[in-house]
Amino acid sequence: MERFKIKAFGMLAEKLPSQEFDFPVYADTEELLNKLEQEYPQLKEAKYSLAIDKQVVHDKQALNGNEEIALLPPFSGG
Amino acid sequence: MSRFERQHILPDFGATGQEKLRDARILVVGAGGLGCPALLYLSAAGVGTIGIADGDSISESNLNRQTLFGHDDIGKPKAGTAGKLLKAKYPDINIQIISDYLNSENILDILEEYDLVLDGSDNFGTRYMVNDACVLAGKALVMGAIYKYEGQVTVFNYGEEPVNYRDLYPVPPAANEIPNCSETGVLGVLPGIIGTLQAAEAIKIISGLGKVLSNKVLFYDLKNCSFYEVIVKPNPASAKQIPADRESFRKTDYNITCGLAESISWEKAMEWSRSIENSVLIDIRELNEEPVFDQKDIEKIPMDSLSDNTTQLENVEHVLLFCKSGQRSMKLAEQLKQKFPEKKIFSVEGGILHPSSPLKMQNDGA
Repeated sequence: MERFKIKAFGMLAEKLPSQEFDFPVYADTEELLNKLEQEYPQLKEAKYSLAIDKQVVHDKQALNGNEEIALLPPFSGG
Repeated sequence: MSRFERQHILPDFGATGQEKLRDARILVVGAGGLGCPALLYLSAAGVGTIGIADGDSISESNLNRQTLFGHDDIGKPKAGTAGKLLKAKYPDINIQIISDYLNSENILDILEEYDLVLDGSDNFGTRYMVNDACVLAGKALVMGAIYKYEGQVTVFNYGEEPVNYRDLYPVPPAANEIPNCSETGVLGVLPGIIGTLQAAEAIKIISGLGKVLSNKVLFYDLKNCSFYEVIVKPNPASAKQIPADRESFRKTDYNITCGLAESISWEKAMEWSRSIENSVLIDIRELNEEPVFDQKDIEKIPMDSLSDNTTQLENVEHVLLFCKSGQRSMKLAEQLKQKFPEKKIFSVEGGILHPSSPLKMQNDGA
C-alpha cells in the first residue's frame, strides 16, 4: 500500500515521529491534515505551511499518494 | 589597486557591480546572530551605506554567534558597537546607527532612506512589522531566521510576481503557537551561515547578479547538511492581512508575546516594590551599562545571571524586572514565568526610556 513521505522542519519535527516519516495516503490535503492532527494533536498548536512537491499550497488540493509532503513552520530566531 | 580588486576582475560583477554596491543603501534590522555576519560581509563588499538598527545591548550569552562583539563589549549597545568596528575597518563606507528598536511609528520614515532591507530580527512581532512596512514602502526584503540547528532564508517583495511573509504565513502565531518562549539553544555557526546567505542575496539584488532567491524559501539543516527549497506563490487570502495604508500601519499593534508574563507601569512597579513585602525590583541590564543606578530599593542582577541562577528569587512573590527599553525584561519575564508559574512576574513597560520612568538615561543624581 502506498504511503506518503512526510518531511517536517524545525519545531514540527519535535511534535512528530521524526524529520521524515511515512503516513497513510488520503485523497486531499484537507483530509491529510485532519488525520495528521488527529494522530499528532500537538500539531494543532502550531503554525505551519504545507508544501506539496516543493510548492506551498494554501487551498485544498487533490492527492494521489505519490507526492512529497513538507510541513514548514516559521522560525523567529536571529 | 583597490580593496575591491578581486571583485573588479570577477566576470559578471566587475566595476559595474562594484559601483552599484557603492551606491546602494541597505538597512540591517538586528545586529545579532544573523546581523553580525551579514553586516561584516556587506561592509567588506563595499555597500556604500549601511543602516544598523538594534535597540539591544550586548550580553555574554550573545558571544557564541554575534561575532562582531567580544568580551570587552558586554553591556554596550549593539548598533553603536557594530558601527564603530565596521567604520574602523572600512572607512570608505557610510554607516548609520539606529540605536532604537524599530516600531510601527518610526519604521516607515527610516525605510525611505534605504533601497533594501535585511531582516535579522529575533521575534515574530518585528518580522511581521518589517514585512508589512516593506510591502507598503515597496522595498525588497531579505529575510533569514533560525531555530536550533535549522535556518530559513528568502527574498520578499522582489521580481515580477512578488510574494511576502504573509503569503507563506498569513497571520502571526498566537501566543500558544509560539514554539518555545524561553531561550532556545543555537550553535553559533548556524546564524553565521544563514546571515551570510542573506548578505549574498542582498549583494545579488543590488548588483543584478545571478538568480535571486525570490518566490522561494530555502531551508537549511546544519545537522544533516541538507537544503530544501520550496516555491511560494502570491496568496490572495493573505493580501488583506497587510494594513491598507501608512496610517493604518502606524495603528497596528505588532507586539506578540508568549502571553505568559505581564507588563506593569513604572508607577505601579515603584509602588509595589515599596509597599509589598515579598517584592523585588530588579535592574536586569549588564552591570556596566550606563547609567548605573545605585539605589537600595533596586537589585542589580544581569539577565544572563538571573536566568542561570534563580536562587535569589526563591522567597520572592512579586518579581518586577526592568531594562533600558522593556524588551529584554519582557523576554526574561516570560522565561522566568515558565519556571515559576506561581510567582507574579512583571516586566516594567518601556524600561528606563519610558517617559514616566523615575530613572533617567542621564544620571542626574536621581
